[in-house]
Amino acid sequence: MKIKKILALVLAGAMTLSMAGLTASAEGATAPDNDLVIAIEGSVSSMDPQNISDTNAISATRGVYEELLHFDENQELEGVLAESWEVSEDSLTYTFHLREGVKFHDGTDFNSAAVVANFERVFDADNGLKSRRTYFKTVDGEETPRIASIETPDDYTVVFTLSEPYGVFLNKLTQMCFISPAAIEEYGNDVMYHPCGTGPYTYQEWVEGDHVTMVRNDDYWGEKPGVDSVTIKEVPEAGTRTAMLQTGEADLIYPTSSDQLSVVESTEDAQINTSVSNIMRYVTLNVNREALSDVRVRQAMNYAIDKDAYVALMYGGYGEAATSTVPSVIQYYEEQTPYTFDLEKAKSLMEEAGYADGFDITIWGDNTTQEIKGMTFIQQQLSQIGINVEVVPMEPATVSDKIYVPLEDAEIDMWYVNWSASDFSADSSMRALLYSEMCPPTSANTVYYNNPDFDAAMDAGLAAATEEEKAEYYQTAQELAWNDATWLFLGTDQIVYSTKTYLSGAYVAPDGTIRYQNAVLAQ
Amino acid sequence: MADKEIKTTSAGGSYEAEELPKAQSKVKEFVKKFLRRKTAVIALVFVVLMILVAIFGPYIAPYDPAAPDYTAMLQGPSAAHWWGTDEFGRDVFSRLLVGTRLSLSVALASVIIGTVIGTVLGLLAGYYGGIIESIVMRGSDILFSFPDILLAIAVVAIIGPGVVNIVIAVAVFTVPSVARLARSATLTVKESLYIEVARSLGCKDWRILWVHIFPGTLQSLIVNFTMRIGTAILAAASLSFLGFGANVTEPEWGAMLSQSRNYMTTAPHLVLFPGLLIFLTVLAFNLLGDGLRDTLDPKMK
Repeated sequence: MKIKKILALVLAGAMTLSMAGLTASAEGATAPDNDLVIAIEGSVSSMDPQNISDTNAISATRGVYEELLHFDENQELEGVLAESWEVSEDSLTYTFHLREGVKFHDGTDFNSAAVVANFERVFDADNGLKSRRTYFKTVDGEETPRIASIETPDDYTVVFTLSEPYGVFLNKLTQMCFISPAAIEEYGNDVMYHPCGTGPYTYQEWVEGDHVTMVRNDDYWGEKPGVDSVTIKEVPEAGTRTAMLQTGEADLIYPTSSDQLSVVESTEDAQINTSVSNIMRYVTLNVNREALSDVRVRQAMNYAIDKDAYVALMYGGYGEAATSTVPSVIQYYEEQTPYTFDLEKAKSLMEEAGYADGFDITIWGDNTTQEIKGMTFIQQQLSQIGINVEVVPMEPATVSDKIYVPLEDAEIDMWYVNWSASDFSADSSMRALLYSEMCPPTSANTVYYNNPDFDAAMDAGLAAATEEEKAEYYQTAQELAWNDATWLFLGTDQIVYSTKTYLSGAYVAPDGTIRYQNAVLAQ
Repeated sequence: MADKEIKTTSAGGSYEAEELPKAQSKVKEFVKKFLRRKTAVIALVFVVLMILVAIFGPYIAPYDPAAPDYTAMLQGPSAAHWWGTDEFGRDVFSRLLVGTRLSLSVALASVIIGTVIGTVLGLLAGYYGGIIESIVMRGSDILFSFPDILLAIAVVAIIGPGVVNIVIAVAVFTVPSVARLARSATLTVKESLYIEVARSLGCKDWRILWVHIFPGTLQSLIVNFTMRIGTAILAAASLSFLGFGANVTEPEWGAMLSQSRNYMTTAPHLVLFPGLLIFLTVLAFNLLGDGLRDTLDPKMK
């Protein structure tokens, strides 16, 4: 009898709760609070905008910090802290007119002196900042600055003079954020724990490995944010992120993996959003490995992979097979002759190269469920031509530790990875990954690709003055890397993210960075 | 004197010969008692079934467990795929059948290794006492202070992931409990009259230990062994779930469960079947252990 009573009580309770839930969703698109919560897959590596290279850190820092200019929703350059700019005929002098009346969160004025102070911080090799290499050119180990001088005719004008044409200078500036000179003075490199910029949100806290929180900056120079606070939470499990969206704990989750789509679809006040991306999915092939040194083997591996199945399996069709070394939204992209899935051709190439019986090899990657799934797919596909792949998922930090080592310590065979150039330039999409001087530990050329023709094309592209010339050089570079089969070219997935219907003004840009500056939660 | 010694030996021999029929009746009695415990019998049947699956699994699996089918991904249970397909279109039933061998052998190997080492240490500690006992038992106490799974994770963190290392890790946390058990059993048996007789007759230490004391501790060790298998399956599956164990491409139960967790809402069969199998197998080994203990325990006669 007692048990029955308890059961009845529990049932009644459950019904009341579910009815409460129903009324809430029936009222429709209003948010329970005015705090934006974003759940992301990876982690925020640093809050120092001048010392980061990963997408999540870019997303997190762009709430507090701003650039001179950035790419807007239509991938066009738009002034932020610069009101306007001019480029000289010879592409050597860039003049920026700064926005007036902008203040950093600590009250310091944003002016030409602040711009100079920030560039000086980046240039100083002692600071060891990641963005430094953007502004220096390295030839045979010797570096020359790309910016010859920075002049400040008045408080709101900055003139950059380049040492030689640098075609991607504006693109690169979209990644240069400005920190309060007073904060730099006070904290040095510890400014990563005391972020102070000009952005629409002021920094509140960063718990490494967990979350970053920012609150509305009521003194913001532009349109004031619609939400009281923004929290970016690190949630590695896809299922957990979806659950957070369902319960309303998160308002935006990115990414939404293909297996979660139906769950989000069936959630009444949630929606799936997609946009084209510049994320290239590929597997690097270390050409210093005996088997992989043969271009025929690398081509055979490319022929053995069913790219359409990859897109279907990994992204539920939200994506497209790779058609070049760079995704189609990148500048100067040109379609290449596809490595159409063809096992016969793959097998005959393997035989030609003397590997008719295949070989053993390992593949490294992050230990998230999605990355493991991708590596397992590669393993299945390559087994068709006798290549026995061992899948080795590791903590992201461990992968980095094992990859960024001097050549003699390199143990890498294959790396399941992805790359997105936030500035959309062909240079950023290829130089760090394939240029001969960019081998680890310097940068991410884990192919150890060393093709003088490719290097020459990349350098010529950077120095070229006209659009036609640039296009020609970068297309040559794409073609060389493609035909040399430096990677397993997999695909470009669409950006798939989910939001609560009451969230507007927040979206995920093609490079995978989350834009929440103008977010509004309907009240 | 020589005469007497021979006599004793022969007397001992005939004593053992007389013992035989008695032992047989003990076995009969044991079987009879065991059969009365229905849950234990069902558990035994299930365990035997799982062992058969472990041996013959790869031959009876309807599909190649590694063969993907990208046209049939994440399908629910059907006539073609009894337990559905996973995210690569692989047959879940076949994978579980084939994976049984890996999962069971990891558990068995680790418990056997742990029990052997633990028994030796426990016997030595119990028999010799003194410094050996102090070292072994305090060492066990230290290991006991860690929760089992945490200890295993620590071991795997030091020696690296992989199936062999999981066996070692699970064996490490099996050792102290076995050692403690073997020691206490040894202490009891050591005081028995027949041990004193053996000693007074001049038997060497190792003979007393292995021929006379060890068989006396077997009962409790067998029970513990059976119970430990359940724990070991769970531990191995947990470690694989956490990514420390079997390679993600192998059909190990824990690894399968780990890879499936994202599909819990969309394709629940992927979590259900490996989970159910782990649950049932662990339960079966534990119930079997319970049954054996109840039957073997002299106090429960």
